[in-house]
Amino acid sequence: MSSSTEIAVPADAVTGSRHVITPARRGSGRRSRRPLRPYQLFFYLFLGAIALSTTSAFAWVFNVSMKTNEEFISSQPWELAERWRWENYINAWESAHIGAYFGNSLLVSIASTVLGVILSAFAAYPLARIPFRFSGMVLSVFLLGLMVPWMVTFAPLYLTMQDLGLLDTRLGLVLVYATYNLPFNVFVLVGFMKTLPFELEEAAAIDGAGPTRAFISVILPLLGPGLASVAIISFLQNWNEFFYALLLIHSPEKMTLPLGLFQLGQAADYATNWVTLFAGMMITVVPVLLVFALLQGQITKGLTAGALKG
Amino acid sequence: MHRTAQRRIILPFLMPALLLLAAFFLYPLLRTVELSLHEFRRTGAAEFVGLKQYERLLDDPNYVNAIKNTFLMAFVGGCMLFPPATAIAWALSQCIRGERFFRFMVFAPVVLSVAVVSLMWKFLYHPTLGLINPALESVGLGALARTWLGDPQTALPAVAFTSVWHGIGLWVVLLCAGFEKLPASVLEAGRIDGAGEWRLFRSIMLPMMRDLFRVLVVLWVVQSLQVFAFVYIMTRGGPFGSTDVVATLMYREALERADFGYAAAMGLVMVVLMLGVAQLINKVMKRDELQY
Repeated sequence: MSSSTEIAVPADAVTGSRHVITPARRGSGRRSRRPLRPYQLFFYLFLGAIALSTTSAFAWVFNVSMKTNEEFISSQPWELAERWRWENYINAWESAHIGAYFGNSLLVSIASTVLGVILSAFAAYPLARIPFRFSGMVLSVFLLGLMVPWMVTFAPLYLTMQDLGLLDTRLGLVLVYATYNLPFNVFVLVGFMKTLPFELEEAAAIDGAGPTRAFISVILPLLGPGLASVAIISFLQNWNEFFYALLLIHSPEKMTLPLGLFQLGQAADYATNWVTLFAGMMITVVPVLLVFALLQGQITKGLTAGALKG
Repeated sequence: MHRTAQRRIILPFLMPALLLLAAFFLYPLLRTVELSLHEFRRTGAAEFVGLKQYERLLDDPNYVNAIKNTFLMAFVGGCMLFPPATAIAWALSQCIRGERFFRFMVFAPVVLSVAVVSLMWKFLYHPTLGLINPALESVGLGALARTWLGDPQTALPAVAFTSVWHGIGLWVVLLCAGFEKLPASVLEAGRIDGAGEWRLFRSIMLPMMRDLFRVLVVLWVVQSLQVFAFVYIMTRGGPFGSTDVVATLMYREALERADFGYAAAMGLVMVVLMLGVAQLINKVMKRDELQY
């Protein structure tokens, strides 16, 4: 019998302690806290190393964003910046146009998220709660969007946007983002609406409410949690989206943050304005991480469900 | 009465969403097939050429190279992803203290934009300004220092590693769910029989999660065959085409050479290949249902 590989403790000591604990854990279930057992040290070291490396990557970016360009080239990477240079952030925000990109990102993400959530709530309602002949087919058309890889659609999408005159406009980007949010939103909301009792509409109808009224005043308010999680996931995805922005937006004043940063990164290869780029990276990353810290559970669940598409 | 009233709202409720979907998804999807049968002239006019674009693919060394790199990326990335993801998920399922903190650290990169992560790693890999080479030198492993993204030998694994670093949180969460679903009674029986934690992991947990692994491997392959942003931002397919994947090649063909027909053909062939590989993996890893 062997215990975990990298433990210096003799195996029988580990088993010994386990025998003492086994009867107690039977009642309390697998997930309850127990006193630290030696083999768990390995897990702590392992997780600690991962956490440390992630943190140090972020710390490095933050540190560089506080340096000057000369300092960045000449000093060792982990040497601390001489002093706080918040002016790098002001530079990034103003002269490197991060502020403008931030505004564009905010505008595009909010507009497309709101549009996508509203349209999918309306579309999900008949699919979930009114039986009609083609409902299964319509639903599978929506779900097709979860399965088709973007590679097959991007070239014709570009041409279509050109034909519609929506190329290089923020409106076009909003419409595309909203469309690509729809399948996941509809999928989640249909599932959510099916859990509500079907007597709700009947009661509303007896009270004299038409079907539209029943949806807006009875069903919609009950969808709160579902709508919230769909909105959070959509917003996060639209905020971070890079490919369609690269494909559809060409003029610098319309770029979103990921695209703007990419352009700035290209420029930093030739010019030598690295610290501004790093400040821009911090400006992009910090709000997202703060939101994530607040809504960790919901975001984790939503993004994981989103990953199962495909 | 109530039902007929309800029927009247079906169409107006569905229409706006379906319109968007039709314009920006279904129509492009159908148009792909049509595009792939056309050749685009410099003037923008398209001419029907039948299957010529597909014939071009067969002896295009760039496409063959891109296909090879794409599959290599999926394979290398998979090797980098699954062992650590499984280990992390196992560790997190051990009811340790600070679980929330560790989950945060592992999942945090997932919520960041691919663009930011790629840029950050592009600099971390930088031979003199970055963090990795100086760190290696300071611990006496200077011999391992490389120009990571500039060397055709290391560029592809370096990009694959970045995509794994970004996405690993998702796979950890999915695997954690797998660990939590393992029946406690079976594990308990193993413990009573005197199995150590490592033995439990290797002989009970892993075999019982085989089905989950099959699904996750298929998902990973389908997802990483579509990799674009990491490559485009970090190396642009270079050095010497050593990281050029199908997606970046398609993007170049479509937008830099306006050869939309060729790009569409590439995409369709790639998707067919992808489905084939997914089926194959599914079959190879399939095993009889476990009963317990």
